Amino acid sequence: MTTPVRFAYADAAAGRTDGSRLAYVPITLRHEAHVLAVVGLLDTGSTVNVLPYPLGFQLGLVWEHQTTQVQLTGSLARLPARGVIVSGQVASFPPVALAFAWTQATDVPMILGQVNFFMEFDVCFFRSQAAFEVKPKGEAP
Amino acid sequence: MSLTELVPAVKMLPRADKLRLMQLLIIDLAQEEGIPLLAAEAEYPIWTPLNAFDAADTLLQMLQTHQAAP
Repeated sequence: MTTPVRFAYADAAAGRTDGSRLAYVPITLRHEAHVLAVVGLLDTGSTVNVLPYPLGFQLGLVWEHQTTQVQLTGSLARLPARGVIVSGQVASFPPVALAFAWTQATDVPMILGQVNFFMEFDVCFFRSQAAFEVKPKGEAP
Repeated sequence: MSLTELVPAVKMLPRADKLRLMQLLIIDLAQEEGIPLLAAEAEYPIWTPLNAFDAADTLLQMLQTHQAAP
């Protein structure tokens, strides 16, 4: 059985109260020869994963080459987005294919949502301890 | 004007003015503490794509195609 990896909540706004801590998970993204170590916001309310434009650019993605249009909602609805698939690896777990809505927004965090981060990883939140655990899907606790 | 003088005057105020005074004091204290408050005329983005079901379907189709590819 795979042991979950435990992460601490991170301060989203330095110097604020405990309420500013959010669940950011370190993740390594790969696309072709490009490798990017980033953190993604675990957002259970988000229907999809969202990749900010600069991160996609750093992964070597070319906007004009991505032909699948994706319509986002909320504040991101006003900007175009494209569907992209990259490899994502959390801790030393096997990498998985992650589908992202690659938005032209630059001032948004990388969001890890239901499709398909939470379909690939089981996540348990311990907010009272400011911690969360992640492990690959499909294994009983 | 001291608080002792102020309290009877405040008690004479109509209910709406009392509430308005409370609001003003709360805003004043929050600003002194450096606590940012929401402004009525400002726009606050909600980045979370809630209920983006069409986008989710599109990405799932992309994943199926990706996994079916040799």
